[in-house]
Amino acid sequence: MLPPRHTPLAWFNLTHEKRRLLTAVAGVSFAVLLMFMFQGFENALYDSQVQLLKRLNGEIILLNRLKYNMFVPEQFARRRLYQAQAFEGVVAAYPFYTTTGDWKNPATKTVRPLRVLAFNPDDPVLPLPGILQNREALKLPWTALIDDQSRSEVGPIEPGTVTELSEQQIRLVGTFSLGTDFASGNGNVVISDQNFLRYFANLAPEEDSRTLNTVDMGLLKVADNTDLAAIVKAMRQQLPEDVAVWTKAEFVEKELDYWRESTAIGFVFSLLTTMGFFVGVILVYQILYTDVAEHWAEYATLKAIGCSNFQLLGIVLQESVILVFFGFVPGFFISLGLYRLTADATGLLMQMTWERAINILIATFIMCLISGAIAVRKVQSTDPAEVFGS
Amino acid sequence: MNTAVATAVQIRQLNYHFGQGDLRTQVLYDIDLDLPKGQIVIMTGPSGSGKTTLLSLIGALRSAQEGNLQVLGRELVGLNKSQLVEVRRNIGFIFQAHNLFESLTASQNVEMAVELTQNWRKKRKLAVEMLSQLGLANRVDYKPNALSGGQKQRVAIARALVNQPQLILADEPTAALDKKSGREVVTLMQQLAKEQGCTILIVTHDNSILDVADRIINLVEGRLESDENLENFVSNRDPKSIDRRMFS
Repeated sequence: MLPPRHTPLAWFNLTHEKRRLLTAVAGVSFAVLLMFMFQGFENALYDSQVQLLKRLNGEIILLNRLKYNMFVPEQFARRRLYQAQAFEGVVAAYPFYTTTGDWKNPATKTVRPLRVLAFNPDDPVLPLPGILQNREALKLPWTALIDDQSRSEVGPIEPGTVTELSEQQIRLVGTFSLGTDFASGNGNVVISDQNFLRYFANLAPEEDSRTLNTVDMGLLKVADNTDLAAIVKAMRQQLPEDVAVWTKAEFVEKELDYWRESTAIGFVFSLLTTMGFFVGVILVYQILYTDVAEHWAEYATLKAIGCSNFQLLGIVLQESVILVFFGFVPGFFISLGLYRLTADATGLLMQMTWERAINILIATFIMCLISGAIAVRKVQSTDPAEVFGS
Repeated sequence: MNTAVATAVQIRQLNYHFGQGDLRTQVLYDIDLDLPKGQIVIMTGPSGSGKTTLLSLIGALRSAQEGNLQVLGRELVGLNKSQLVEVRRNIGFIFQAHNLFESLTASQNVEMAVELTQNWRKKRKLAVEMLSQLGLANRVDYKPNALSGGQKQRVAIARALVNQPQLILADEPTAALDKKSGREVVTLMQQLAKEQGCTILIVTHDNSILDVADRIINLVEGRLESDENLENFVSNRDPKSIDRRMFS
């Protein structure tokens, strides 16, 4: 083994007092935990807005030009979808219908609006396991699948339950798992396009009756190895201007932008995350400052015998980095557990991704650097002459 | 080797002030002093006489304002902070308190000083050798709280001596020690100084260690009052007056 270059003073100083190290690590973990939880809630709210969109099967999305987010009830002519299908590279085009229907809780007889998703069961429009298994049952008249993540107020969701959708009888033939969002606060039901006509084609005169000729969203599947951007560009140039063409990724971003800009979610949770960050800065500063203050004479002695301020900063920053590592790991795992608990308890979509974990890791790192830089000023301003006598 | 380096410290007309404006007070007046190589010099004087200030000026811990102050052949007046740091690397410092890191072993504390000279490969060897010379061969890997006061101060001395500085500055090195270990520590310093040929300047109130000095300087109210060898110092004063003067 090679002899170590430096005496790892930072390491020894931190680990010298086990109890203090434990407190320090707990402090950093707590700050990490706060940041993860607030970020988690923020992301959960955004993620749930686009979960339906992300699961729809198709790379390109066709919309009425007026429809700037998922819940604007504007449709476009179905023939546009068939025009788009004629483009080179497009292998399939699926119409997707959606509306809001009143769902009667079969137990309490109270009515709540649910989001109705309708499409041809033979098309893989929304390939979720519960939907794929029940395609045949879905083709029968007056049948539906219900989202098992729907709020409990919608009533029993066992297959075979008979109740009313839009004041007409309906029979549940199964469930799938999607989740709620701002636009469908109560839950989702899936029905076939034929049933969609049965329930929504002949509404009262003051309501907009629906037909299959107008589509809420068109999904286009493209062949592998096609240049998505080129197809989209061509469609935008050649299709009439009443439709808007987006890649799915673009529309997901657009949807997220809408929620970011039109709600306070981003502000509130960014504020909370920032507060978590500063709680961390203060905690770590306390820990490092205690070390520096208690070893003031020793650090000043180092300075007297020719250690530069830069080298001292290095030592304190090393302590920070060690704290980051030891604090982050438990913070991360506890957060994973809490994400699980929160998701189970609230139905929120709490997702941990590598990107999010790394962002928090970087934030933790910056947190400790700031604290270290403040704490080290105590030593840097030390006049080494004061170690003599006094 | 030029003549300037033959004297470790050469001071001419050094004045030093603390504070600024109305609060400006002079603490050192017209100091002239030469410390030849290899001498052990003890500086005594009442509290507040400016001993520590003079020591910290020689040690490049403060920047001198007026006069000439040459240390190891280098003029310190007018140097900036990073140049002062450079100078300090060639000086060994021993403080009243041992100032050892509790979290490091004796050897690691000494190695910290070796690291400042970038001598990575031999740092452990040098530290162990120096500690052995100070009689701590079997305490090399002990942490300070497992060592006695005298042993800790010896580790601090090892830290000061390990880079073989040509000049050692000690501020009351025996103050925190009992008489016997204080004596031991000073004797060791004397031996090593003779072996390495370095100059030692000790500030002390402890008259039991005066006999190690080649020369005794007395500083009173910022002025050099006397500069003589031990025999003269003792014979010129009756013991009681020595005590009174030195412990006031």
